Amino acid sequence: MSDDSLPWSLPLPRVISGSSEVTVLFREQRKALLRYVVCLGLSTDEAQDIVQDAFVSLQRHLAAGGTQENIRGWLFRVAHNQARNRQASYDRRFAEPLDRDMEWLTDKATPEEWLLEKEKFSRLAAAIRILTDPERECLLLRAGGLRYREIGEVLGMATSTVGDTVERAIKKLAEKCNV
Amino acid sequence: MCDAKHKLIAWLDHELLPEDAARVERHVEACKECRLRLVAYEQASKTFDAYCQAAVTKNTRHRLPGWVPVVSGAVVAVCLAIVLVMRTFVESQAIVTPPLATTSVPVVVPVEPQITPRKAIQRHHRLVSVPVRASATNWQPAEIAVQIAIPAEAMFAPGALPQGVNFAAELRIAPDGSVQQVRLRQ
Repeated sequence: MSDDSLPWSLPLPRVISGSSEVTVLFREQRKALLRYVVCLGLSTDEAQDIVQDAFVSLQRHLAAGGTQENIRGWLFRVAHNQARNRQASYDRRFAEPLDRDMEWLTDKATPEEWLLEKEKFSRLAAAIRILTDPERECLLLRAGGLRYREIGEVLGMATSTVGDTVERAIKKLAEKCNV
Repeated sequence: MCDAKHKLIAWLDHELLPEDAARVERHVEACKECRLRLVAYEQASKTFDAYCQAAVTKNTRHRLPGWVPVVSGAVVAVCLAIVLVMRTFVESQAIVTPPLATTSVPVVVPVEPQITPRKAIQRHHRLVSVPVRASATNWQPAEIAVQIAIPAEAMFAPGALPQGVNFAAELRIAPDGSVQQVRLRQ
């Protein structure tokens, strides 16, 4: 599946008019950021709003002379906090198993591959449900390409704690999924 | 017991210091158990990433394109307009020529004004003009102001008519007072 299938309605002029750094970050990070927020359980529309607000906040942050260190972590932290503020839908969809509606696995060549993939995702969905919130968030941020130090900044954890949490979460998934 | 097994995932993520990474790498080359663990952890990570992507795809797939509400609204508006036009046309067809007054007693039947059809025609004239014009051309008594039917008993003295003879005279009078048509009918 192409990442370009993701809808994106961010009004570019609002960001581009700010600074070239924001534009570069927008191109590099928007998909990962959007995926992270969606996987936290928010709808695509909500996720788009959050990511858009995050980039607008970044533009203001840089325009006000804010620190430029670890901007990627800064973006994820802003998006994470905004997602947390929408607790009504938080954590709802990502915990929902996908096995009821699996026709999106159309890239599988044969019915056998399709069934294997479906079974694997069903087991993973069950395993994800037993993860704690920090474990799930660490894995999501790790899947978004963040380093342990950045994950720690987003979630307010020590880097060593992030390492332990990621290790614990991956081991749970590996054991439960039997992959 | 492998000392390195708690560092395998950090090693996969390139989060170890160089000397620790080198130590774990040497251990993995020698330890089959840790190699199997590594395979399992990598598989779990890949499956999790694929699951995240699938969750986004699933969430996105149910979104309607932005043009759908616009087109739907336009289709509904067109359907409503068609229904309105059809209804107007049917009503205009229902306005037929008012029947000519033919009574057996002398009676003056004003052909115009016919209040109810006129109002209907005026109302429809604002909406659609073609059907109204068509119906107006078919209105036979448009040139006739009054139509009178006089029975024979009213025209002749009692007993003047032969037994069994009975008829009525119909007169159609134009707005200018001229008699357009005189007809006798039994």
